Amino acid sequence: MCGIVGYVGDGDALPVVAAGLKNLEYRGYDSAGVALSANGGLDVFKSEGEIDDLALPDAHAATCGIGHTRWSTHGEPSDANAHPHTDCTGDIAVVHNGIIDNYEALKAELSDHEFVSETDTEVVPHLLEEVYDGDDLVGALEDVVARLDGSFALAVTAAGHDGIVVARRDSPLVLGFGDDGNFVASDVTAFLEHTRDVAFLEDGDVAELTSDGVTVRHDGEVVERDRQTVDWAADSAEKAGYEHYMLKEIHEQPQALRQTISGRLDVVNGDVDLDLDLPAQYLQSVEEIQIVACGTSYHAGLYARRLLEEHADLRTSVEVASEYEFTGGRDPWRTLVVAVTQSGETADTLRAMRTASAAGARTLAVTNTVGSTAAREADDVVYIRAGPEIGVAATKTFAAQVTALALLTVDVGRTRGALSGDRASTLLENVRGLPGAIQQVLDADDDVRAVAREYADSDAFFFIGRKLGMPVSLEGALKLKEISYRHAEGFAGGELKHGTLALVTEDTPVLAVLTDGANATETLRNVKEVESRGAPVVGASSLDDAESFLDAAFQVPDLGALEPLVANVSLQLFAYHVADALGRNIDKPRNLAKSVTVE
Amino acid sequence: MKAVILAAGEGKRLEPLTNRRPKPMLPVGNRPVLEHVVEAVADAGVEDVVLVVGYKRDRIQTYFGDGDDWGVNIEYAVQSKQLGTGHALLQAADHLNDTFVVLNGDRVISPALVSEVMERTETGDTPVVSVTRVENARNYGVVELDGQRVTAIHEKPDAHRSQSDLINAGVYGFDSSVLAAIRDTETEPSGELALTATLDEVAREDGLAAVRYGDYWLDISYLWDLLSVNEVVVSRLTDGAGFEPSTSDGAVLADSVAVDEDVRVGENATIHPRVSLGENVTVGPNAVVSNAVVLPDATIEAGAVVRDCIVGENARVGPNSTVVGGNARVVVEDEVHRDVRLGGVVGDNSVLGGGVVVDPGTVVGDHVTVESGVTLDGRVPPNAEVRRG
Repeated sequence: MCGIVGYVGDGDALPVVAAGLKNLEYRGYDSAGVALSANGGLDVFKSEGEIDDLALPDAHAATCGIGHTRWSTHGEPSDANAHPHTDCTGDIAVVHNGIIDNYEALKAELSDHEFVSETDTEVVPHLLEEVYDGDDLVGALEDVVARLDGSFALAVTAAGHDGIVVARRDSPLVLGFGDDGNFVASDVTAFLEHTRDVAFLEDGDVAELTSDGVTVRHDGEVVERDRQTVDWAADSAEKAGYEHYMLKEIHEQPQALRQTISGRLDVVNGDVDLDLDLPAQYLQSVEEIQIVACGTSYHAGLYARRLLEEHADLRTSVEVASEYEFTGGRDPWRTLVVAVTQSGETADTLRAMRTASAAGARTLAVTNTVGSTAAREADDVVYIRAGPEIGVAATKTFAAQVTALALLTVDVGRTRGALSGDRASTLLENVRGLPGAIQQVLDADDDVRAVAREYADSDAFFFIGRKLGMPVSLEGALKLKEISYRHAEGFAGGELKHGTLALVTEDTPVLAVLTDGANATETLRNVKEVESRGAPVVGASSLDDAESFLDAAFQVPDLGALEPLVANVSLQLFAYHVADALGRNIDKPRNLAKSVTVE
Repeated sequence: MKAVILAAGEGKRLEPLTNRRPKPMLPVGNRPVLEHVVEAVADAGVEDVVLVVGYKRDRIQTYFGDGDDWGVNIEYAVQSKQLGTGHALLQAADHLNDTFVVLNGDRVISPALVSEVMERTETGDTPVVSVTRVENARNYGVVELDGQRVTAIHEKPDAHRSQSDLINAGVYGFDSSVLAAIRDTETEPSGELALTATLDEVAREDGLAAVRYGDYWLDISYLWDLLSVNEVVVSRLTDGAGFEPSTSDGAVLADSVAVDEDVRVGENATIHPRVSLGENVTVGPNAVVSNAVVLPDATIEAGAVVRDCIVGENARVGPNSTVVGGNARVVVEDEVHRDVRLGGVVGDNSVLGGGVVVDPGTVVGDHVTVESGVTLDGRVPPNAEVRRG
């Protein structure tokens, strides 16, 4: 995934574009560049490496510019492969997020042009060079886009052209309308400090930004896209005295969850209000929920599966989105497909959602991002309201996803008559207690850090848990892998003896989820198994006498079926402190980007 | 002009409420004291704020972020050991040049005071200190005034030495030369470096420009102060509430009650004046709450009576439990305070069972579990389990 930002207006473009790139750094950071259009000329600055390494002038007269931060798909990170890319004359600059599938064929046609990079993107400026008459850049881009196969968000500027032209197909682009100019970016966080007045482009849109305004065209006709106000605070996208976004976001969980549940709970009557249009008759007739998701969102899906099967009495399956097919003789009329994606732009998840939709199934998106592709394409949406998440390792959005899915469980269970008001009330009381319980885990941060430092140099880490503790053990292992680069595995406690036990030694700490909802009694047997092989055991536990049989314990307050979710917070802190002790680049782990918009 | 707000302190006398949060994060009117200070400097036209943080700083950083919600730009300076206000200000040195104002993060003051100190500072007559009149001056820095100049500051003087009820109000105007003066001040035997020690030296030599202040000046030194300061702040809220609570039939809310987001009040529950209900608080049916500060996520169950009381974050007061309320004798750090209005304190995450009776002046630590039917008095240490017997 890459990040695009552009600005045209009355002010200087360079500081706006540079700050925008910094805000988008989470989307990619192996190379970066900007193009600035001023006085009839075009200046391009780009290089391999992080945005802070990019050599930019102290000041530049341009009031129009585009920028790009890259995460490599075609061509290794290098100065030549960094965006923006230009045509032979150096007068047209292009930045691109996505993949152009037919670039080799197009490149062959452009044999008289000189190519300097290994990227798919570079065909675009050369194609533009062929058709651009020096005046109508919009028309030129419309012609070029018609020839491209694949997915893309493109932003183009040219020498002597005081504006930016953009195009979108399958990769996100959002417009921002400010007092001193207009913005375009892959994500609102790029320009949130300048304006919250935004509009999302749709697939097939081509838009022209000037300092006076924005014109959006679709199939050659001028169209209006709805203006929306983003209510995220800009400071949510800044570090606020924390050393890393990840730690800041871990600490934001109580507040994020208060937002997730705000106005949605009726604890007394055991009801929730998710503002959904799912007809009661439909929910009563549904035979299966299929959850499609990737990575951390997949783990949130696994947590939700148990909640749905137990409390809504509804068969639920969870599929890794990239593996998803609508098969098995399912009845599309009786299958609800729930897509869980923080960004709402995860390519694998979108593809799965479209597969389900094409088969005739109803779709529901659970996402953090208003106006995202998933939110617009799904039949229904539940927003998790976690606020912007910048750390590549998802933390608060996992908690908010599980919480939103727990509310969906109550909604479905109550509508289907499978969940009594009393049981629903108990579950909702636990949901209501989440912010307070998580704050207690955060208050013990120093203890978690001490334990993490003690074990940071271990050979490997194994995470075990049962029932609702199983997805949490998978998630705990994933966090540790992502940011510490240590080997970690998570699995159901019962699986330990079916293989992995062979790897357990005194240098492989085992982290166990020992809480309500996670069959702690059975997991304790596994704890004994590994202890007899000399492995140290760290437990996230709500048991009274946890310390007596563990080498270290993270206290989890009583919270019923949501205790494993609270336990997960101590595992997040553990992963963070292990990575910190090892000196890792926590907010920018190697080889990873936040949301993956390529399949 | 920049403003430096000192918010690194712990506030030991306010235990158990400061076991999990720094003193400036104690809420009055559902907003941390520090937020009232940040609002005052923002209203006075300050754009750049440096928060000196230390003890439990994550609570402050998570809440204030980069300050955009208050229209200011907040930077953080860390004082990792609490070695006095002078030392705290030195931690912000890298952020400072020219002139700036300094405030305490745990005193509620009006924006007018900040403006006046800023104006006086701009005239170049620095350092500037502000002085105000209080009843219990001996607990603060008593100033000696000669005309419009402060000639000495006595920190918490003995009774016989105290001749004035004018005190240092804790809002200062400086230029960067004050940093050198602090560095030249001798460290106290305790290792602390107090800003007032430096100012006392300067006052005795050259005198200090004084800004007189007569509007509200609210300090929370002791647990019961939280209730009285909350009362002042809540009564200043013009429209009472803030957010509409979700109320059931027959619930009654008085006018001067501060209600935060997602508060639920059950059937026939009564919320009397001088109450703040924090975010996500639940008050059960038939419960009665008066003169109380209820922190976020707390639950007061059916039929409970909670008077003159502070209920900690995520704490639970069981059904039909009673905090009788009224005046009491409370011991704080071996000092006996008689006749203070404090029905009780229930620490963060503590759970009182059904029918618990809390005698006036009881302070229940954080994370305490109390069995049904127990009568509590005195101090209950953190993490304790109280059984009947």
